[in-house]
This record gives sequence, structure tokens and C-alpha cells, in this order.
Amino acid sequence: MKNQNFEILSIAEDTGGVKAAGPWIEAGKAEYTVLVDKQHVVTRLYNMVNVPTAVWINEQGRIVRPNEVAYSNNKGMSVTKVDTEPWINGLRDWVKLGDKSAFAMREQELRERVKPQNPDWALASAEFGLAEYLYQTGSGEAAIPHYKEAQRLNPENWNFKRQAWALSNSKEKYGTTFTDEVKKLNGKPYYEPHRLPPVKN
Amino acid sequence: MKKWMYAMLLGLLFTPGIQATETNKAIVVYDDKATSVGAAKLTIAKPGDLWITLADLKTATGFVNKQQGVCRDELCFPLPKKRRAEFLQAQGKTTWFNLTEFARLLKQPVAYDAAQVAWYFGQRPEVQNNYTQNFQAPNFTLPDKNGKLHSLSDFRGKKVMIVTWASW
Repeated sequence: MKNQNFEILSIAEDTGGVKAAGPWIEAGKAEYTVLVDKQHVVTRLYNMVNVPTAVWINEQGRIVRPNEVAYSNNKGMSVTKVDTEPWINGLRDWVKLGDKSAFAMREQELRERVKPQNPDWALASAEFGLAEYLYQTGSGEAAIPHYKEAQRLNPENWNFKRQAWALSNSKEKYGTTFTDEVKKLNGKPYYEPHRLPPVKN
Repeated sequence: MKKWMYAMLLGLLFTPGIQATETNKAIVVYDDKATSVGAAKLTIAKPGDLWITLADLKTATGFVNKQQGVCRDELCFPLPKKRRAEFLQAQGKTTWFNLTEFARLLKQPVAYDAAQVAWYFGQRPEVQNNYTQNFQAPNFTLPDKNGKLHSLSDFRGKKVMIVTWASW
């Protein structure tokens, strides 16, 4: 999809910064721009609740597909339960056709999909921001109650949970682990499924 | 040094009536920028309130107290006239500003840690939610692994897919 006036901006949501994300960046040998987001700015700006999450943005800087699960292949499909192929095909279609693509959402669909933050989510974001500040300045223990508060106020946000759990012994400090929490979903999909337009042949 | 200069210095040192209010060292994180400020221990302060000097207000937030309101560049928020004392308190030569009350006025989310004496101020809802009305992708500026900064707006004129991921 190179040379089609299309860019991928890959962003690591990592409190650990380059130290945490660096080896992954090296391993990926990316040909696109890779950024490191220590403060989870993008998660909070776009109300993202998970990784990997993609947003498609057109030439005028307008969102044409908001937050969606974004796997580049089906290698992990047995775990993720996401068949990414139709979505990747949609991406190719959009890169080729731009706003004329059926995969570029119209105003009506965007209105249904992109919602303002409710006050609890806004407060969760602030609690997470404070926790990040405390952690980054060496008060890791003091950060924990604020990570917990962020998780309580916005229970749908897996980023707020998983980042916090990864920074300490989550069993000991949070009484849970990512694996435990996924089991609790009890078959409910971890990722919100893609809602793609029907493909015309 | 001339005699009158000594006299002036002595005068400055022993001027009566100016009571220094005790302050705690506090941290304000505003627009994701951390600033160390002095938090006044005012008797009228409610728990969690943050009263700071107008100088600290400017350094930490960029806001300035003016005739027409509390302003940053073109943006001005008038303070409710009847509740002025909840926002501004003069003590001697110092004017204290209640940053947490100002946040309530602006409906900003605030997180607070008493032990660490730290306040985090989130975005005003109209800023945070602006993109849900006009669908313009919110801009951000972040470093690559070599520390070079890139902004989403640098890519204007191209189709862009942002993809977030994590090592955790």
C-alpha cells in the first residue's frame, strides 16, 4: 500500500517508554513511523479501551473509521477470535478509493459510533493520568490506588487495567491477573467485533 | 551604601501587617505538564482544595487573572460575581487562587493524592469531546525511539491509519 498517499502511524502505549517498547520496535523492523506514548495520550484523546486499536483518518484530518481492533494478520486468531482479513481488505479498498470507499463511514454512522465521554470516564482518565505521573516520578506504590480508581470508574478500559497490572505483581497488588479476567468473560469476545459494510462482488 | 538605603532595607524587613501564609509544596499536573507550586494552608480551605498564587497559576496552567475573567490567550472564563471569594482570597500582598474550584467551574475532572500532595487536572469536556461533534482527529505530538517528535498534523494531505499497541 506504499506510494498510495497512505501512512501508518504505529504508537506504543507504554508507561515504560522506549525501554519497554524499544525491543518490540527493533523486532518489528517497521517501515512506517513508530512513536512511543509514555503517558497514554492517544488512549485518552481517542477514548481507546484496548490494543491493538486503529483509527482511519482522511486527507483532511477527519476520522473515517473510529476505534477498531487492528490485527495485521490472522496468526493469533485462535486467541484473539478476530478474523482480520475482511478488515484488511477494507483498508486496501479505502487506501485505493479514499472517501468513496464503502469502508469510509458517513456522518450518520460516525455519530452512532463516536460518543462523548461520560463524567465517570473523564474522571477515570484523570485518575489514570495522576497514577502515571506518580509512577513515572518514582512513587509506584502511591500510584496503585489511582490506577484502581481509574479501573473502577471505567471498567471497560482494558488499557487502564493491563498497563497497571504490568507494572507490578498484579495478583498481589490488584488481586487478579489478565488471564483471570479474560476467563471471567466466559466466552464473551474480548474485542468488540468489526462492523463492516457488506462486500459487493 | 548610603544611609537612606539601609533605612529602606530595614523598613522592608520590619514592615508590619504582612502575614506570610504557610504553604506546602504541591505538584500540579495541567495539560500533562507537571509544575511544583506552593499550596496555601488557608483556614477557609476545604479538604482537597488547592489555593495557589497568581504567579504559580500562570506558571502551572498559563491562566492569568484579569478584569474580564481568568484568561489564557483568547480564552476567558468570567468568575461568578457572587462567588468571587470562593476563587480569590487576598492576604497582605498575596492573592490566592482556588484552582480546584476553577476546575469545578470548568467541569474539568480532577484527581488528587493527599499524601503525595499532587493534583491532576484533566481536559475540559468541550475540549475532550470536540472531535465527537466534528470528527476531526485530535492532534498529538509524540517522540519516536530516538526522541524525534512527530505530530499527527504533519501527515495532513495523506490518508493515515493510527494503530496503538503495547509491550504489556
